Amino acid sequence: MAFLDINHASKAFGEMSAVHDFDLHVEKGELVSFLGPSGCGKTTTLRMVAGFEMPTNGTIVLNGKDITNQSPNERDVGMVFQAYALFPNMTVGDNVGFGLKIAKKTKDEIAQRVQEMLSLIKMPELGDRYPYQLSGGQQQRVALARALAIQPQVLLLDEPLSALDAKIRVELRYEIRRIQQQLRITTIYVTHDQEEALTLSDRVVVMNAGRIEQIGPPFELYNFPTTPFVASFVGTLNQLRCKIMDAAAGRLSLDGQEFRTTSPVVAGRGGDALVMLRPEELHLGSQEGANHLKGIVESVAFLGSVVRIHVKLGSSIVTLDALNERNLKLPKTGESLVVSFPPHGCWVMAGE
Amino acid sequence: MRRFPIWSWVWLLIGLAYFFIPLASTLEFSLRMIKGRYTFEAYRVAFQDPRFYQSFGYSLLWAVLTIIISLLLVVPTAYWVQLKLPKVRPYVEFVTLMPFVVPAVVLTFGLVRTYGHPPLVLTTTPAALIVGYVVLSLPYMYRSVDSGLRAVDIRTLTEAAQSLGAGWGTIMKDVIFPNLRVALLSGVFLTFAIVMGEFTFAALMGWPAFGPYIEEIGAMRAYTPQAVSVMSFLITWGSIMLIQWVGRGGRGEVQISGAR
Repeated sequence: MAFLDINHASKAFGEMSAVHDFDLHVEKGELVSFLGPSGCGKTTTLRMVAGFEMPTNGTIVLNGKDITNQSPNERDVGMVFQAYALFPNMTVGDNVGFGLKIAKKTKDEIAQRVQEMLSLIKMPELGDRYPYQLSGGQQQRVALARALAIQPQVLLLDEPLSALDAKIRVELRYEIRRIQQQLRITTIYVTHDQEEALTLSDRVVVMNAGRIEQIGPPFELYNFPTTPFVASFVGTLNQLRCKIMDAAAGRLSLDGQEFRTTSPVVAGRGGDALVMLRPEELHLGSQEGANHLKGIVESVAFLGSVVRIHVKLGSSIVTLDALNERNLKLPKTGESLVVSFPPHGCWVMAGE
Repeated sequence: MRRFPIWSWVWLLIGLAYFFIPLASTLEFSLRMIKGRYTFEAYRVAFQDPRFYQSFGYSLLWAVLTIIISLLLVVPTAYWVQLKLPKVRPYVEFVTLMPFVVPAVVLTFGLVRTYGHPPLVLTTTPAALIVGYVVLSLPYMYRSVDSGLRAVDIRTLTEAAQSLGAGWGTIMKDVIFPNLRVALLSGVFLTFAIVMGEFTFAALMGWPAFGPYIEEIGAMRAYTPQAVSVMSFLITWGSIMLIQWVGRGGRGEVQISGAR
C-alpha cells in the first residue's frame, strides 16, 4: 500500500463517463503529474482526491485511511486553483492564516506560521497587502502558501500556472518544485503543458479520454512511449509509414530510400510499419554508422536554442531539430540535403 | 488638448434637474406656511405630532427586521442556486418577481386570509406585515445578491475555503457575506427605501406605519405633509449613508474591485 491510493476510480456524469478505472499509487513525498488534453479527466480525478467530486466506483485511501466518502473539509488536503482563489476581502496574511484559524490555533501560532510561509514563498514583507494589490504570480505564491500552511498530507495543484505569463510560469515552476522537495510533501499536479509535467515530476500519468494511457518517469515516458497517443502527445514526433523490406534484419523503406532500425519490426495496418522518430534524433549531413536519407528543405524556423527544419523525404515531411551553434550554417528552403539518424534512434509502434 | 465635454455636462445637468427640481419645489412649498415669508412653521407643527415619531420609529424597526430576514433568506438561497442548482435559477427568479405580477392589495388579502385564523395567526403581530415586506423586497434583494455572486468566482472561493477545512457556516460568514458587501448594500438600500414608503400593506393590515401616516396628514393638511416628506427624504438619505459607513467595516480602507 502506498501513501495515496486511488483504487480503480471511475466517475460518470449522467451518461457521460469522465474518468474510467483510474488506478494510481503515489508514494510519500512524490510529485506526480496528470498530463493530458482538456477534457481527458485529469481535473475530475484531482477533484475526486480533493473531495469535490465523489467517485462513481472505486476508493481513495490516504495514509491508510479510506477518505472516499469524506467531505473536502475533513480530508486534510491542500489545494491550489488555476484562478488563485484568494479571498479578496482578506489580506495576504489572513488568507494564509485562514485554515489555521479554522483549526483553532492560537493567535501567536498563526502569526508565526504565516510568517514562516511568507518566507518560504519569498514574500515576507507583503503580509498586509490585499490580493488585488499583487501580480498574478504573487497571488499564486500566496495561494500555495495558504494551501501549505495547514500542513496537509497531500498538496493538489490544478493547472496552477496556466493563467500566468510564460516567463513567470517557468520561474514559478521551479519554485513549486523547490518548495515541494524542501517540505517533502506528496503532490499531485494537473497540467496540459507537457514541458511543465516533464520538468517537475517524479512520475507522469498521461491521460486521454478518461483513461490512463501510461504512467512513468518523464525520461521513460518520452523515450519509451507505449501507446501512439503518448508518443504523439508528449513531445514532437515524426510518424512515418514505411514498407517492410526484411523484418528480421530491421530493414525498412521510406518512399524507396532504405534504412535500418534496431527496434523489433511489426507490421501494422496494410502490412506497413509505423516508424517513430524524434526530431532531435535527426541530424543535418551524414554521420558514420547512421541511416542516410535524401530530402529537400521545406522550411527553416529559428527558435533560439533550437533550429526547427522541415524536410521533405519523398512524400513525407519530417521535422528535424538542430541545436543552435554560432557557426551553424542554416540550410535554405528548396535546398537538397542529406539527413541522418542512428538505427537505434527510431522505433516501430506495434499494432499501428 | 482635450475638448470640453459639453454634451456630457448638458446631460448631467438635465439629469440633476429632473431629480432635484421636484425636491426643491417641495422644500420651497413646505417653507411657505405663513404667508409672505419663509419659515419652518410646517416643520414645527410636524415635530409636535407624536404620531410622526411613532410611525417613523415603527417603520424604521420593521425595515431593519425586513432587511435581516430578507438577507438570511435570499443570500443562502441565491448562493445555493448559483453553486449547486443552476437549473433552478429561472424558477427562483420567477418567484422573486411575484410582487411585480401580483398587486399589493391582492398579496395583502392573501396574507390576511392565510394567517388571519388558526393554525398560524400572524396578523395580530407585525409578523405578517414583515413577511409581506420581505416578499415585496425580493426582486430587488435577489437581483442585487445574484449579480454580486456572479461577479466573484463563488465556486472556487467556496472550494478553496472547504479545502482549508471550513464548514458551511464559516464559508457564509467569512467568505460569502464579506465578498458580497457592495451587492448586499444596494439590496439593503432598496429594501429600506421600499419599506419606509410602503402604504398598501400597512394600511390594509392596520399598522401605524410611516406611509399611511403621510397619506393621512396629506389628506387633512396642506403644508405639513410636504415638510414631513422632505424630512423623511433626508432621514432616509442619512440612514443610507449610515449603513454605508457602518458597512465599510473596521479596516477603513475599502476595496471595491475584487481580485480575480
